[in-house]
Amino acid sequence: MNAKYAIFAAAAVAVALVVVVAYSPQEQAPAITRMHGSVSTAMGSPILGDPDAPVTIVEFGDYQCHQCYNWFHNSKPAITEKYIDTGMASLVFVDMAFLGRDSPKAAQATYCADDQGMYWAYHDTLYQMQEPRIDGGWASEERLKAFAFLLNLDQEMFDSCLDSSKYANRVQTNVGEARKAGVSGTPTFVIVGPSGEEKIVGAQPYLVFERIIESVA
Amino acid sequence: MIPRQVFAEPAYSAMAAAVFTSMLVLMLAASGFVFFEPYVVGHVPPGSEANLATIIALSGVSAVVIPMNVYGLRARAGKPGGFFGSAFGAAAGACGCGPAGFALVSALGPAGAAASAFLANYETPLRVAAIGVMLVSWWAAARSIRAACRVDGKLTRGQKF
Repeated sequence: MNAKYAIFAAAAVAVALVVVVAYSPQEQAPAITRMHGSVSTAMGSPILGDPDAPVTIVEFGDYQCHQCYNWFHNSKPAITEKYIDTGMASLVFVDMAFLGRDSPKAAQATYCADDQGMYWAYHDTLYQMQEPRIDGGWASEERLKAFAFLLNLDQEMFDSCLDSSKYANRVQTNVGEARKAGVSGTPTFVIVGPSGEEKIVGAQPYLVFERIIESVA
Repeated sequence: MIPRQVFAEPAYSAMAAAVFTSMLVLMLAASGFVFFEPYVVGHVPPGSEANLATIIALSGVSAVVIPMNVYGLRARAGKPGGFFGSAFGAAAGACGCGPAGFALVSALGPAGAAASAFLANYETPLRVAAIGVMLVSWWAAARSIRAACRVDGKLTRGQKF
Protein backbone atom coordinates (compact mmCIF):
# COMPACT_ATOMS: atom_id res chain seq x y z
CA MET A 1 0.00 0.00 0.00
CA ASN A 2 2.81 2.35 0.99
CA ALA A 3 4.71 1.52 -2.19
CA LYS A 4 1.65 2.45 -4.27
CA TYR A 5 1.41 5.80 -2.47
CA ALA A 6 5.11 6.40 -3.01
CA ILE A 7 4.82 5.70 -6.76
CA PHE A 8 1.76 7.89 -7.00
CA ALA A 9 3.50 10.72 -5.13
CA ALA A 10 6.61 10.45 -7.33
CA ALA A 11 4.48 10.54 -10.48
CA ALA A 12 2.59 13.59 -9.18
CA VAL A 13 5.85 15.37 -8.41
CA ALA A 14 7.20 14.54 -11.89
CA VAL A 15 4.03 15.85 -13.55
CA ALA A 16 4.16 19.00 -11.43
CA LEU A 17 7.82 19.57 -12.41
CA VAL A 18 7.01 19.19 -16.10
CA VAL A 19 4.14 21.67 -15.77
CA VAL A 20 6.33 24.19 -13.87
CA VAL A 21 9.15 23.97 -16.41
CA ALA A 22 6.76 24.20 -19.37
CA TYR A 23 4.97 27.27 -18.08
CA SER A 24 7.84 29.12 -16.38
CA PRO A 25 8.65 32.50 -17.97
CA GLN A 26 11.39 32.03 -20.55
CA GLU A 27 13.81 34.66 -21.77
CA GLN A 28 12.58 35.71 -25.18
CA ALA A 29 14.47 34.10 -28.01
CA PRO A 30 16.78 36.71 -29.49
CA ALA A 31 16.24 37.98 -33.02
CA ILE A 32 19.36 36.33 -34.38
CA THR A 33 18.77 37.32 -37.94
CA ARG A 34 19.67 41.01 -38.04
CA MET A 35 22.88 41.32 -40.02
CA HIS A 36 24.62 44.38 -41.40
CA GLY A 37 27.23 43.19 -43.85
CA SER A 38 29.37 40.67 -42.04
CA VAL A 39 28.32 41.90 -38.57
CA SER A 40 25.45 40.48 -36.55
CA THR A 41 23.72 43.40 -34.84
CA ALA A 42 20.82 41.34 -33.52
CA MET A 43 21.75 42.06 -29.90
CA GLY A 44 22.80 45.64 -30.57
CA SER A 45 20.86 48.86 -30.33
CA PRO A 46 17.66 49.71 -32.13
CA ILE A 47 18.32 51.25 -35.53
CA LEU A 48 18.67 55.03 -35.50
CA GLY A 49 17.26 56.51 -38.67
CA ASP A 50 15.56 54.82 -41.58
CA PRO A 51 15.96 51.01 -41.32
CA ASP A 52 15.79 50.87 -45.13
CA ALA A 53 18.57 53.42 -45.60
CA PRO A 54 21.11 52.21 -48.16
CA VAL A 55 24.06 52.66 -45.81
CA THR A 56 24.38 51.46 -42.21
CA ILE A 57 27.01 52.68 -39.79
CA VAL A 58 27.74 50.06 -37.15
CA GLU A 59 29.52 51.63 -34.19
CA PHE A 60 31.36 49.50 -31.63
CA GLY A 61 31.78 51.60 -28.51
CA ASP A 62 32.17 51.80 -24.76
CA TYR A 63 30.34 54.41 -22.71
CA GLN A 64 33.49 55.18 -20.72
CA CYS A 65 35.70 55.63 -23.78
CA HIS A 66 36.91 59.19 -24.21
CA GLN A 67 37.52 58.76 -27.95
CA CYS A 68 33.89 57.63 -28.32
CA TYR A 69 32.94 60.83 -26.49
CA ASN A 70 35.05 62.80 -28.97
CA TRP A 71 33.36 61.15 -31.93
CA PHE A 72 29.91 61.66 -30.43
CA HIS A 73 30.53 65.39 -29.96
CA ASN A 74 32.69 66.21 -32.97
CA SER A 75 31.82 63.95 -35.90
CA LYS A 76 28.40 62.47 -35.18
CA PRO A 77 26.38 65.71 -35.35
CA ALA A 78 27.39 66.37 -38.96
CA ILE A 79 26.86 62.71 -39.92
CA THR A 80 23.41 62.79 -38.33
CA GLU A 81 22.46 65.97 -40.13
CA LYS A 82 23.71 64.97 -43.56
CA TYR A 83 23.09 61.23 -43.67
CA ILE A 84 20.88 59.91 -40.86
CA ASP A 85 18.22 62.63 -40.80
CA THR A 86 17.97 62.52 -44.60
CA GLY A 87 17.44 58.75 -44.75
CA MET A 88 20.71 58.06 -46.55
CA ALA A 89 22.24 56.18 -43.62
CA SER A 90 21.25 54.54 -40.37
CA LEU A 91 23.24 53.90 -37.21
CA VAL A 92 23.46 50.86 -34.97
CA PHE A 93 25.47 50.78 -31.73
CA VAL A 94 27.05 47.52 -30.59
CA ASP A 95 28.54 47.42 -27.10
CA MET A 96 32.25 46.79 -26.74
CA ALA A 97 32.18 47.27 -22.98
CA PHE A 98 35.73 46.52 -21.86
CA LEU A 99 37.26 49.61 -20.33
CA GLY A 100 36.22 49.31 -16.68
CA ARG A 101 33.87 47.72 -14.20
CA ASP A 102 31.18 50.37 -14.84
CA SER A 103 31.19 49.85 -18.62
CA PRO A 104 29.01 46.69 -18.82
CA LYS A 105 26.46 48.11 -16.39
CA ALA A 106 26.20 51.33 -18.41
CA ALA A 107 25.59 49.28 -21.54
CA GLN A 108 22.93 47.22 -19.74
CA ALA A 109 21.24 50.43 -18.62
CA THR A 110 20.71 51.49 -22.24
CA TYR A 111 18.68 48.34 -22.88
CA CYS A 112 16.67 48.93 -19.70
CA ALA A 113 15.86 52.35 -21.18
CA ASP A 114 15.03 50.61 -24.46
CA ASP A 115 12.32 48.65 -22.62
CA GLN A 116 10.60 52.03 -22.32
CA GLY A 117 11.40 53.11 -25.89
CA MET A 118 14.18 55.48 -24.81
CA TYR A 119 17.36 53.75 -25.95
CA TRP A 120 18.80 56.61 -27.99
CA ALA A 121 17.84 59.30 -25.49
CA TYR A 122 19.63 57.33 -22.76
CA HIS A 123 22.61 56.61 -25.04
CA ASP A 124 22.96 60.32 -25.79
CA THR A 125 22.64 61.19 -22.10
CA LEU A 126 25.54 58.87 -21.23
CA TYR A 127 27.81 60.54 -23.78
CA GLN A 128 26.71 63.98 -22.65
CA MET A 129 27.35 63.14 -18.99
CA GLN A 130 30.61 61.24 -19.49
CA GLU A 131 33.43 62.36 -17.24
CA PRO A 132 37.11 61.85 -18.08
CA ARG A 133 37.93 59.28 -15.39
CA ILE A 134 37.25 55.63 -16.16
CA ASP A 135 35.41 54.06 -13.20
CA GLY A 136 35.49 57.46 -11.51
CA GLY A 137 31.88 57.05 -10.37
CA TRP A 138 30.06 58.95 -13.10
CA ALA A 139 28.59 55.66 -14.43
CA SER A 140 27.92 54.00 -11.08
CA GLU A 141 24.57 52.25 -10.64
CA GLU A 142 23.24 55.22 -8.65
CA ARG A 143 24.17 57.64 -11.42
CA LEU A 144 22.73 55.34 -14.10
CA LYS A 145 19.44 55.35 -12.18
CA ALA A 146 19.66 59.12 -11.81
CA PHE A 147 19.99 59.47 -15.61
CA ALA A 148 16.79 57.45 -15.96
CA PHE A 149 15.12 59.88 -13.57
CA LEU A 150 16.35 62.81 -15.69
CA LEU A 151 14.68 61.24 -18.73
CA ASN A 152 11.40 60.71 -16.86
CA LEU A 153 11.55 56.95 -17.28
CA ASP A 154 9.43 54.69 -15.10
CA GLN A 155 11.95 54.57 -12.26
CA GLU A 156 10.72 51.39 -10.62
CA MET A 157 10.77 49.48 -13.88
CA PHE A 158 14.22 50.80 -14.79
CA ASP A 159 15.73 50.10 -11.36
CA SER A 160 14.34 46.60 -11.29
CA CYS A 161 15.74 45.93 -14.77
CA LEU A 162 19.19 47.26 -13.87
CA ASP A 163 19.32 45.49 -10.48
CA SER A 164 18.40 42.15 -12.05
CA SER A 165 21.20 42.38 -14.67
CA LYS A 166 18.53 41.37 -17.16
CA TYR A 167 20.67 42.41 -20.12
CA ALA A 168 24.07 41.18 -18.94
CA ASN A 169 24.08 38.35 -21.47
CA ARG A 170 23.02 40.68 -24.26
CA VAL A 171 25.96 42.99 -23.56
CA GLN A 172 28.35 40.04 -23.37
CA THR A 173 27.02 38.76 -26.68
CA ASN A 174 27.74 42.16 -28.21
CA VAL A 175 31.28 42.15 -26.84
CA GLY A 176 31.75 38.71 -28.41
CA GLU A 177 30.36 39.99 -31.70
CA ALA A 178 32.79 42.91 -31.61
CA ARG A 179 35.70 40.54 -31.08
CA LYS A 180 34.46 38.37 -33.94
CA ALA A 181 34.41 41.47 -36.14
CA GLY A 182 38.08 42.06 -35.29
CA VAL A 183 37.48 45.11 -33.13
CA SER A 184 40.52 45.88 -30.96
CA GLY A 185 39.70 49.34 -29.70
CA THR A 186 36.86 51.81 -29.48
CA PRO A 187 35.30 53.44 -31.29
CA THR A 188 35.45 51.22 -34.37
CA PHE A 189 32.97 51.59 -37.21
CA VAL A 190 31.89 49.28 -39.99
CA ILE A 191 30.21 51.18 -42.80
CA VAL A 192 27.98 48.85 -44.80
CA GLY A 193 26.44 49.78 -48.14
CA PRO A 194 25.42 48.28 -51.46
CA SER A 195 28.98 48.58 -52.77
CA GLY A 196 30.59 46.79 -49.85
CA GLU A 197 31.80 47.53 -46.36
CA GLU A 198 34.70 49.51 -44.89
CA LYS A 199 36.13 49.70 -41.40
CA ILE A 200 37.10 52.96 -39.69
CA VAL A 201 39.13 52.72 -36.49
CA GLY A 202 39.14 55.61 -34.04
CA ALA A 203 37.33 58.90 -33.55
CA GLN A 204 38.08 60.09 -37.05
CA PRO A 205 36.78 63.40 -38.40
CA TYR A 206 33.56 63.82 -40.37
CA LEU A 207 35.36 64.12 -43.73
CA VAL A 208 36.62 60.54 -43.49
CA PHE A 209 33.09 59.27 -42.85
CA GLU A 210 31.75 61.35 -45.72
CA ARG A 211 34.23 59.81 -48.17
CA ILE A 212 33.61 56.26 -46.98
CA ILE A 213 29.82 56.60 -46.90
CA GLU A 214 29.86 58.02 -50.44
CA SER A 215 32.14 55.21 -51.60
CA VAL A 216 29.95 52.36 -50.29
CA ALA A 217 26.57 53.97 -51.09
CA MET B 1 73.05 72.39 -21.66
CA ILE B 2 73.41 70.47 -24.94
CA PRO B 3 76.94 69.10 -25.21
CA ARG B 4 78.07 70.04 -28.70
CA GLN B 5 80.26 67.00 -29.18
CA VAL B 6 77.19 64.76 -29.05
CA PHE B 7 75.25 66.37 -31.87
CA ALA B 8 78.37 67.30 -33.84
CA GLU B 9 78.42 63.64 -34.85
CA PRO B 10 75.94 62.98 -37.68
CA ALA B 11 74.94 59.63 -36.17
CA TYR B 12 73.61 61.30 -33.03
CA SER B 13 71.82 64.02 -34.99
CA ALA B 14 70.19 61.32 -37.09
CA MET B 15 69.27 59.46 -33.93
CA ALA B 16 67.67 62.62 -32.50
CA ALA B 17 65.61 63.10 -35.67
CA ALA B 18 64.56 59.44 -35.64
CA VAL B 19 63.59 59.54 -31.97
CA PHE B 20 61.59 62.74 -32.40
CA THR B 21 59.76 61.52 -35.49
CA SER B 22 59.00 58.04 -34.25
CA MET B 23 57.85 59.16 -30.79
CA LEU B 24 55.74 61.94 -32.23
CA VAL B 25 54.03 59.70 -34.78
CA LEU B 26 53.55 56.88 -32.26
CA MET B 27 52.02 59.10 -29.60
CA LEU B 28 49.90 61.13 -32.04
CA ALA B 29 48.48 57.91 -33.47
CA ALA B 30 47.92 56.34 -30.03
CA SER B 31 46.12 59.45 -28.78
CA GLY B 32 43.87 59.77 -31.83
CA PHE B 33 45.44 62.88 -33.35
CA VAL B 34 46.63 61.12 -36.51
CA PHE B 35 45.06 58.23 -38.41
CA PHE B 36 46.65 56.20 -41.21
CA GLU B 37 43.64 54.23 -42.40
CA PRO B 38 41.60 54.47 -44.53
CA TYR B 39 43.31 57.82 -45.27
CA VAL B 40 46.17 59.69 -43.63
CA VAL B 41 44.45 62.43 -41.68
CA GLY B 42 45.25 64.67 -38.73
CA HIS B 43 42.63 65.86 -36.29
CA VAL B 44 42.78 67.87 -33.05
CA PRO B 45 39.49 67.53 -31.13
CA PRO B 46 38.51 70.66 -29.19
CA GLY B 47 39.79 70.52 -25.62
CA SER B 48 42.76 68.28 -26.35
CA GLU B 49 45.29 71.02 -27.15
CA ALA B 50 47.17 70.60 -23.86
CA ASN B 51 47.49 66.87 -24.51
CA LEU B 52 48.93 67.62 -27.97
CA ALA B 53 51.40 70.11 -26.46
CA THR B 54 52.71 67.53 -23.97
CA ILE B 55 53.20 65.01 -26.79
CA ILE B 56 55.28 67.48 -28.81
CA ALA B 57 57.27 68.52 -25.72
CA LEU B 58 57.98 64.92 -24.67
CA SER B 59 59.07 63.99 -28.22
CA GLY B 60 61.38 67.01 -28.35
CA VAL B 61 62.97 66.37 -24.96
CA SER B 62 63.36 62.65 -25.75
CA ALA B 63 65.09 63.54 -29.04
CA VAL B 64 67.74 65.41 -27.06
CA VAL B 65 68.07 63.17 -24.01
CA ILE B 66 68.14 59.71 -25.62
CA PRO B 67 71.13 60.45 -27.93
CA MET B 68 72.89 62.06 -24.98
CA ASN B 69 72.28 58.94 -22.90
CA VAL B 70 73.56 56.71 -25.68
CA TYR B 71 76.62 58.91 -26.04
CA GLY B 72 77.09 58.79 -22.29
CA LEU B 73 76.81 55.00 -22.21
CA ARG B 74 79.33 54.61 -24.99
CA ALA B 75 81.67 57.02 -23.22
CA ARG B 76 80.85 55.27 -19.92
CA ALA B 77 79.67 58.58 -18.56
CA GLY B 78 76.19 57.96 -17.24
CA LYS B 79 73.13 55.83 -16.71
CA PRO B 80 70.31 55.50 -19.25
CA GLY B 81 67.63 57.35 -17.26
CA GLY B 82 66.08 58.96 -20.33
CA PHE B 83 64.80 55.72 -21.82
CA PHE B 84 62.49 55.07 -18.91
CA GLY B 85 61.05 58.57 -18.98
CA SER B 86 60.28 58.26 -22.69
CA ALA B 87 58.71 54.84 -22.35
CA PHE B 88 56.64 55.99 -19.38
CA GLY B 89 55.35 59.06 -21.22
CA ALA B 90 54.56 57.11 -24.38
CA ALA B 91 52.68 54.42 -22.42
CA ALA B 92 50.51 57.07 -20.78
CA GLY B 93 48.95 57.95 -24.10
CA ALA B 94 48.89 54.51 -25.62
CA CYS B 95 46.35 53.06 -23.20
CA GLY B 96 42.65 53.78 -22.78
CA CYS B 97 40.26 52.76 -25.51
CA GLY B 98 42.88 52.15 -28.20
CA PRO B 99 44.38 48.82 -29.25
CA ALA B 100 47.12 48.99 -26.59
CA GLY B 101 44.57 49.39 -23.81
CA PHE B 102 42.46 46.61 -25.32
CA ALA B 103 45.50 44.31 -25.49
CA LEU B 104 46.35 45.08 -21.86
CA VAL B 105 42.80 44.29 -20.74
CA SER B 106 42.65 41.13 -22.86
CA ALA B 107 45.99 39.85 -21.61
CA LEU B 108 45.75 40.70 -17.92
CA GLY B 109 42.01 40.85 -17.24
CA PRO B 110 40.94 43.04 -14.29
CA ALA B 111 44.56 43.93 -13.44
CA GLY B 112 45.10 45.06 -17.02
CA ALA B 113 41.86 47.03 -16.95
CA ALA B 114 42.99 48.78 -13.76
CA ALA B 115 46.41 49.57 -15.25
CA SER B 116 44.87 50.77 -18.50
CA ALA B 117 42.33 52.92 -16.66
CA PHE B 118 45.10 54.45 -14.52
CA LEU B 119 47.23 55.29 -17.55
CA ALA B 120 44.22 56.72 -19.40
CA ASN B 121 42.84 58.69 -16.44
CA TYR B 122 46.17 60.36 -15.70
CA GLU B 123 47.43 60.63 -19.28
CA THR B 124 48.37 64.31 -19.22
CA PRO B 125 49.79 64.44 -15.66
CA LEU B 126 51.82 61.29 -16.34
CA ARG B 127 53.21 62.81 -19.50
CA VAL B 128 54.11 66.01 -17.64
CA ALA B 129 55.84 63.86 -15.01
CA ALA B 130 57.68 62.03 -17.81
CA ILE B 131 58.86 65.37 -19.19
CA GLY B 132 60.13 66.23 -15.68
CA VAL B 133 62.01 62.92 -15.49
CA MET B 134 63.49 63.60 -18.92
CA LEU B 135 64.63 67.09 -17.90
CA VAL B 136 66.38 65.69 -14.82
CA SER B 137 67.93 63.02 -17.02
CA TRP B 138 69.03 65.74 -19.47
CA TRP B 139 70.77 67.65 -16.70
CA ALA B 140 72.42 64.51 -15.31
CA ALA B 141 73.58 63.33 -18.73
CA ALA B 142 75.02 66.73 -19.67
CA ARG B 143 76.83 66.89 -16.35
CA SER B 144 78.29 63.39 -16.63
CA ILE B 145 79.37 63.88 -20.26
CA ARG B 146 81.07 67.15 -19.31
CA ALA B 147 82.85 65.45 -16.40
CA ALA B 148 83.91 62.50 -18.56
CA CYS B 149 85.28 64.80 -21.23
CA ARG B 150 87.33 66.68 -18.68
CA VAL B 151 88.83 63.41 -17.48
CA ASP B 152 89.64 62.03 -20.93
CA GLY B 153 90.95 65.39 -22.16
CA LYS B 154 88.46 65.99 -24.97
CA LEU B 155 88.18 69.64 -23.89
CA THR B 156 91.74 70.20 -24.96
CA ARG B 157 90.54 69.69 -28.53
CA GLY B 158 88.64 72.96 -28.25
CA GLN B 159 85.14 71.55 -27.82
CA LYS B 160 82.64 73.59 -25.87
CA PHE B 161 79.45 72.67 -24.03
